[in-house]
Amino acid sequence: MYTELNSILSSTPDSFTQGEFILVSDRQSDASFLIHHFLSFYLRARCRVCFLGLVQSFSHYNAVSQRLGVSLAQAKEKGQLIFLEGLTESLSFLIPQETSTESQAMDFLRDPTVSLRHLYEFIRTSVSSSGGGGEGGAEEWGPPVLMVDDLSVLLSLGVSTGAVLDFSHYCHATVCSQLQGNMVMLVRCSEEEEVDDGDDEGSERLLRGLTHRCSLTLHVQGLPTGYCRDIHGQVEVCWRRRQGDAQNTQRKLFQYKVNDKGASFFARGTSSAVL
Amino acid sequence: MLSELLQGADTGGFLIIQDSTNCSGQHLLTSFISAVLNRDEFVHVLGFEISEEELRDGLKGSPTQRLHFHNGFTDPLGWTNHPAFTVHQFNLEELTHIVKQTSQLKPATLIINSLSWILRHVSPSAVCKTLQQLKKGGAVRTIIGLLHADMHQKGTVGSVCHLASSVITVAPGMKADEAVAKITKRSKSGKVMQDEEIFNIKEDLTVIVQSKPSQTGSKQPDPEEQEMDPTANLTFNLRLSDTEREAKEKLALPFMFSKEKKTALLHSSPGSGRILYEPDANDDYDQEDPDDDLDV
Repeated sequence: MYTELNSILSSTPDSFTQGEFILVSDRQSDASFLIHHFLSFYLRARCRVCFLGLVQSFSHYNAVSQRLGVSLAQAKEKGQLIFLEGLTESLSFLIPQETSTESQAMDFLRDPTVSLRHLYEFIRTSVSSSGGGGEGGAEEWGPPVLMVDDLSVLLSLGVSTGAVLDFSHYCHATVCSQLQGNMVMLVRCSEEEEVDDGDDEGSERLLRGLTHRCSLTLHVQGLPTGYCRDIHGQVEVCWRRRQGDAQNTQRKLFQYKVNDKGASFFARGTSSAVL
Repeated sequence: MLSELLQGADTGGFLIIQDSTNCSGQHLLTSFISAVLNRDEFVHVLGFEISEEELRDGLKGSPTQRLHFHNGFTDPLGWTNHPAFTVHQFNLEELTHIVKQTSQLKPATLIINSLSWILRHVSPSAVCKTLQQLKKGGAVRTIIGLLHADMHQKGTVGSVCHLASSVITVAPGMKADEAVAKITKRSKSGKVMQDEEIFNIKEDLTVIVQSKPSQTGSKQPDPEEQEMDPTANLTFNLRLSDTEREAKEKLALPFMFSKEKKTALLHSSPGSGRILYEPDANDDYDQEDPDDDLDV
């Protein structure tokens, strides 16, 4: 959890807006540090988190979170974190073993033309079962949070953009609207700025479709001037929800540097290496 | 022209609000709903992108008893087995049925939020056909639809917009609370009018049209361009005050030849010294070559 980012977004683990859909995207850069931020943020906020880790293994996320002061393994044991490890899950789905209980969540792998309905149903049952808690003396958790790292992997696996948009619509309706929880999704854009209009499928269209629906976007880009040792890139924060009289989107641009145990955000040109 | 459209003068109209990721048309659509509700007309909302609570929350202050929400938000594809309204119900029979159910006498206004959602699941030709039938059908007085133009191919956007009697394209304005609306309106006689207006939406959803940018399209200079004025932050003064100018004009510069200076130089005053020169024999003065003595 990066406190500087918290003050930019004016949220703390004790008080944050509920029902928000946060879209994290990157182009020619890596936005996964924001995913780690939000993961540790919501775990500290005592939310029940459902994490769809399609890119890395659980131990990777655990190792990074440990540095940020949150133990994923503990959270998982307590039932606070529900972690769908896409890598092992898909392997056990494609090479079924007798011992493993096969879940339907990844069934789009067999036939990418089907919708992501089973994946959604997995999420719905895991986020809405928060009240009861199977184990005795289960702790009470806050509003549910769904995190996806990242949606573009689904595109690479052959799922159409429309199907991913439908999936995120259902997640939005269930998590943000019905349960008043939050949702964080990461989308990676292709390296090229913009493909031609005729290109129907692709991460650009996915990003546009999700941007229309979200309440906050964090877009991470590399520096337009190229590589720099002291500034890792810039992040554009954009509030899309109506705030007071400002009906349009409100944008702010920051440059950032990711450190070992945190990240610093500063206004353009005010890096400590420059001043 | 925007306020005319909000008043909803003509029946049988089909209005499209086109937006992009830069500027959302959702608020303008809510303003339109509020304007229709304030005229005591029935409103049917096909809501795919916004939940009923969120819509009613946004419409606080407007009379919502004539608002009928058809929930396509929670389950638009029938994944959870009890869908309220699915995207596949978007056809003439179903729509006429649900509209007639509640407002028997007066034709109602149909709000589609959004057309993009439907176009993702129903073929464009089927959508156009349904829209055309609805326009002619009589059950619906006006259709207002939101369309995310950057989500579709240009051809699809074009063919849907051809059906519309008015198209409002919203774009971000200069200031944070302003937006620009480009309006194309086709009247029944076939005349096409185009206009561009800057508007903002107040807390109570009333639309304030601020000004009309001139027809020639001379836009206000970009804020960046204004900042580029090189004389803005100089450390010295570029302009003169009147007294400064007077003083400057009074000053005689050394190279300027006034009359006094000339006479002073030519006619020396009596009593001052004069130089008399009488060439002696050594002075070999050659009229032809006065510079003979110089070693050139």
